[in-house]
Amino acid sequence: MELRLQNLKKQYGAKCAVDDINVVLTPGVYGLLGANGAGKTTLMRMICGVLKPSSGSIRLNGRTLEELGEKYYAHLGYMPQDFGFYPDFTAREFMLYIAAVKGIGQRAAKHRTNNLLQMVNLQDVADKKIKSFSGGMKQRLGIAQAELNNPSILILDEPTAGLDPKERVRFRNLISDFAKEKIVILSTHIVSDVSYIADTILMMKRGKLLLQEPMGTVTDCIEGKVWELLVDEREAMKYNGRFSVVNLHHENNAVRLRIVSDIPPSKKAITVKPSLEDLFLYYFAEEVESERGGKQ
Amino acid sequence: MRTLIKYELLKILRKKSTLLIMTISLILTAFLFGLPIMQYQTYNQDGVLQGTEGIKYEKEQASQYSVSLTDEFVEETVQEVNELFQNPDNVGFDGNEKFLIGDAYWENIAPKEKLLRLIATNYAEQGAYAGYNSLPELDLGGGANFYEARNEKIETILNASSRDMSEKQKEYWREMNNDVETPLRYGYHEGWEVIITSFELLMFAILSVCIVIAPVFASEYQAGTDAVILSAKYGRTKLITAKIVSSFLFAILAFTVHLIVACGFPLAFFGVDGWNLPLQILGTTIPYPLSLLQMTLINLGVIYLVVIAMAGLTLLLSAKMKTPYLVLAVLVPVLFIPMFLTPTGIAGIYNQLLFLLPYRSTMPEFGKYVSYQFGGLVLDALSVRAIVYTVLTVISIPFIRLFFRKHQVSA
Repeated sequence: MELRLQNLKKQYGAKCAVDDINVVLTPGVYGLLGANGAGKTTLMRMICGVLKPSSGSIRLNGRTLEELGEKYYAHLGYMPQDFGFYPDFTAREFMLYIAAVKGIGQRAAKHRTNNLLQMVNLQDVADKKIKSFSGGMKQRLGIAQAELNNPSILILDEPTAGLDPKERVRFRNLISDFAKEKIVILSTHIVSDVSYIADTILMMKRGKLLLQEPMGTVTDCIEGKVWELLVDEREAMKYNGRFSVVNLHHENNAVRLRIVSDIPPSKKAITVKPSLEDLFLYYFAEEVESERGGKQ
Repeated sequence: MRTLIKYELLKILRKKSTLLIMTISLILTAFLFGLPIMQYQTYNQDGVLQGTEGIKYEKEQASQYSVSLTDEFVEETVQEVNELFQNPDNVGFDGNEKFLIGDAYWENIAPKEKLLRLIATNYAEQGAYAGYNSLPELDLGGGANFYEARNEKIETILNASSRDMSEKQKEYWREMNNDVETPLRYGYHEGWEVIITSFELLMFAILSVCIVIAPVFASEYQAGTDAVILSAKYGRTKLITAKIVSSFLFAILAFTVHLIVACGFPLAFFGVDGWNLPLQILGTTIPYPLSLLQMTLINLGVIYLVVIAMAGLTLLLSAKMKTPYLVLAVLVPVLFIPMFLTPTGIAGIYNQLLFLLPYRSTMPEFGKYVSYQFGGLVLDALSVRAIVYTVLTVISIPFIRLFFRKHQVSA
């Protein structure tokens, strides 16, 4: 199976939300990283056929989405970001309804619903109305509905947003269970979520695909650009203003800084093994800073 | 498909707002159609008889006026009234007109005053209403000629310059009138009269149905569930059909419940008597050769078509607009502004269109001679309404499909 995105573009007036994306996806888990507004959601919506590209094509095994029609959607499982449920439906009713929209026969739908609700640990509340569910329960129901048709392409847009750490771990495990022999595209700006489960990292910035690398080698490009050094607290403030500080750790009266920089921040700095988070900051330092500023 | 329809219906029925809107609307309908019962009053020597007591009394009197309106009967009746007016002891005068008083009124006029008014109005000028006290003024020297008078009056209507009728239209109405069976039969018909004259009150039921189905598509956009269903196999095909079918089903069922309440109240209290009496007992110049029940059913058929077309329009707006509130912002004026527009006649584009708008289309307006000519074809308002609303429904469906199928999920 091969999902090919060719010269994919989405333009809103003068703004280019997705700019000329070319990528070939084969089974595996793809972590789609990017700061807010990078174009991740727009790209996912286009892959799911719910947003028309301005130009370019999406081909599954050589045939375009338009050519495949319903057949394309039969391959798809989509969990959008922040999507609403039907509050007056129970979890089971919601699953059976989505199963019907996905064209799954009644008997198979019941069977699959029971299995999935068990997998996402919602079997005890299967007949409770969704309006009584917590955010985490809704997210789990969201992924369960996406898995109903056992899709060969599973698109998950920010599935861990708003979850507490325990639920995020549970969610990651769920995705790993579902991911076998599928193309799974998982968008997030929580880097640690993808670092555990992704086989390949796709990184987007301002609508463009910045990087497509296997998880094992994705950080190679910043090898020798991640530094650690121990400074006093006054100095730490200085470094924080001049460099991209990934981490800041207080040790007695000193502060251990982790910095991503093309040049050594100090003669005392030593290079360390880069992580995905370092890579993210390397590319998105500007965006992260402006986000921090916005929040403050 | 059945499963999809089931769940789409569940989506509509499970909402608290559906229950609330339907309850309010049913109470309002019950109140509006119950008002004629609560406010009903009739009189006898002992004074006013109100509500169910009045209805009971009226039914008891029915035997006195359940008659066939033959020329002989009309002549005799006019003669009787004339004789009553001959006795000065029976006559009162309020400065304007004479009227009967005492036993002469209560025993001879009161039980059948409505019938006497119908007879008197038949001889009155077009557009004027006449009471029993105008009967002695009639010159029936050459016989009652009740139906000749009716025909003359109809000719006056057809030839009125303000109506601007073509010869084809006149011929259409004449032919229809020829089918009216004479002599007319008269009798108790209170329940049917209440229903026939109150059809427009069903507008609130139509509005409530539209309010409930306004979110069918728009709420998917609003809640963000559009992305899930549009990316599913049948999201752009069978699901749309299921949404349309379930909405129409709901509209028909909900409206039928309202109708049961609306017709149930008058018929339960006033009785079903009179169902087979001719429509002309509500006005002798009415051209339709139908009974009260037949006209009720035909007009209800038209109203059902209006309901379905309005449901179709609601779905069309729902598929196009982002929220249910925007849908209602367009729909409510469409339904209710025509309430405040009064026809200035029956001719001219303004009037002809006005008679086809949803509010006017709930009213049978069977005595107004509203007709439409398309080349050599003449159709009455009821037929044109049926065609217009059927066509509207049929046209709206492909557009509903198109708008939802083409919907783009964006932030």
